[in-house]
Amino acid sequence: MKKERIDLNEIFLKDERYRTSFHFSLEKLKLSLKETGLLHPPLVVFRSERFILVSGWKRILACAELSLSPIPVLITEEKDDLKTFLMAFYENLATREFSLLEKAEILTRLKRFGEDEKRITRDYMPLLDIPATLPNLDKYLAFSQLEPEVKKAVHEKNMSFSSVKPLVEFSSRERKQLLPLLLPLGQNKRRELLEDILEVSRKSDTAVHKILLSPEIKAVQESETLTPLQKADSIRLLSRKKRYPAFSSMQDSFESLLRKIDWPEEIAISPSPFFEEEDFTVRFTFRSEEQLMAGLLKLEELSARKDFSKIFKLK
Amino acid sequence: MPHSRFSPRKVFIDKECHGMPLTRRVIKNLSQVPTELVSDPQRFLEERRISRDAIKQGRKDLFITSQKGEFVKSCPCTPRYVGCNYFIINLDLNCPLDCTYCILQHYLFDPILIVHANMEDLWKQLDVFIDQNKGRALRIGTGELGDSLVLDHITENSKDLISYFRGKNPVLFELKTKTVNIQNILETEPASNIVISWSLNSPRIARSEEKNAPPVEERIDAAQRVAEKGFFVGFHFDPLILYAGCEEEYESLIARLFDRISPEKMAWISLGSLRFPPSLKPVIQERFPWTKIIYEEMVKGVDGKLRYFRPSRLDLYKRIIRSIKKNGGEKVPLYLCMESDAIWREALGWVPKGKESLESYLSSPLGNSKV
Repeated sequence: MKKERIDLNEIFLKDERYRTSFHFSLEKLKLSLKETGLLHPPLVVFRSERFILVSGWKRILACAELSLSPIPVLITEEKDDLKTFLMAFYENLATREFSLLEKAEILTRLKRFGEDEKRITRDYMPLLDIPATLPNLDKYLAFSQLEPEVKKAVHEKNMSFSSVKPLVEFSSRERKQLLPLLLPLGQNKRRELLEDILEVSRKSDTAVHKILLSPEIKAVQESETLTPLQKADSIRLLSRKKRYPAFSSMQDSFESLLRKIDWPEEIAISPSPFFEEEDFTVRFTFRSEEQLMAGLLKLEELSARKDFSKIFKLK
Repeated sequence: MPHSRFSPRKVFIDKECHGMPLTRRVIKNLSQVPTELVSDPQRFLEERRISRDAIKQGRKDLFITSQKGEFVKSCPCTPRYVGCNYFIINLDLNCPLDCTYCILQHYLFDPILIVHANMEDLWKQLDVFIDQNKGRALRIGTGELGDSLVLDHITENSKDLISYFRGKNPVLFELKTKTVNIQNILETEPASNIVISWSLNSPRIARSEEKNAPPVEERIDAAQRVAEKGFFVGFHFDPLILYAGCEEEYESLIARLFDRISPEKMAWISLGSLRFPPSLKPVIQERFPWTKIIYEEMVKGVDGKLRYFRPSRLDLYKRIIRSIKKNGGEKVPLYLCMESDAIWREALGWVPKGKESLESYLSSPLGNSKV
């Protein structure tokens, strides 16, 4: 390996064969370059009469934005693509954490450069903190096939493995339809929406786009008053009702009964999760003996109301 | 392996078990099947865990090794639901029937059919266990981490187990199966504390979700032959699976069962609805993408497992229990597997209380009752 100074335009950046990082911010690095210059030269290799970047994408792109050229680079004479890629891999492995999509890109490159699947699984996946099985390798390889706009969203929203996993079950068209609904939601609600829609689709043999075109979902999507977050959350709740109709119906009956009894907001009452047990919980706060007695008397009065006993017979 | 007797592609033998009597018996019964000695079992198992469908591949081969831990364990049942106080013998692990809903896909770490060959250790451990529980109507069986009879033409374990437990009343020993692999049973003298039981499901579910198991009618036929031989038989409607029209199909199955087998020969019938830990769902989705059983309305129970919404499974239990009673099963002991107090009370009208309540109830028709 030798060190040289070369012009930036001598590096053919359109060849991204070794690149595994996308969608990053350059601002802090640019500041660092301005202050201290380029301390760690990027790694390049000579292929087909030109330099290809092996490692140091952020550094090169930041230098380009600052018009820093020529710059120092390390040049490897390695001819084998896999061995060259491994230089970049091990350099990064030692210095930083990989994101979900970077891991997917690394595994894809290893496979593309001819590494044996079993070796990828056994030797590399544990280094990436991925359970070493071939089905897991398949999942990560599928992540790297997602559309660029989906990948960008995955990166920007820092989506977890469990959020991205259901995404690959949808078609490209379906993913594009779902994307605006996913972006405003948090991790758990995002996963819940994806799983519910997918499972409703599989259970009823109905295409996802048809579910999204159902009148109640369409009405939410076309609303001019709801914010993107409100739309996404409403559609999540509608999907939940489609996925869990009996539970949702019992939940509605319970809430409607509370309204009928005129149950006060200051005394919380809740059934056991999913009505799995017969128990109910009531909760109220007090800061004096008088308040405690008032709460207990209120409960006594509520339990004597005509429809109260119906909460034990909900179907 | 469509409904014929299972034969592995290859038998792997832990070097430590080479020469053990059970190993020799397996090799004799599988004389056409290639064998390979394994000198490093840990590495061997690690290699197999990596593969793309490790579970499916693992169920094609047999690994003879020794049980390093305890053979006899208390059935884990499930937290916060009524336990059945059952004990399990971990003799064979895994099952080639590969039913879609099988918990073993999630529960067992080693994806290969395992036969434990150190039977001498088993007998010693059982002696101690039974001695420690002297006088208790314990129920103990081998069918929790594998099918009790699916490998019986290879291991012939049923003969040894029945012979061991014969006369050890009030201990009840159960072999639980979905197969019709009953040749060894039919060649063995029955005993009052031995129960051979079958897992039954509606023919539709058996066809779609238990593809490698014999059809339900054949299972009933096998049960009839075993009952005629003089054994007590048991039936497990577990997992009951909800689908449009399932109630009628379960009722019709129960009518056919009671047509063929006298209730006096039935030791017990258990009912349990489909339930599984959430982490099993992606495994089923991946391995059996065509199955729809995981898309019914299932919610998280208090044990964290997914199960049918309470009113739905209660309705199904009630209908099946009514049908069992209507068909002559009023006196056959019925119990629910992994169910709540509330469901027990509403479906069966009572809830077992205390450690030995259920075992006393289930032992009564076999003349083993302590009560």
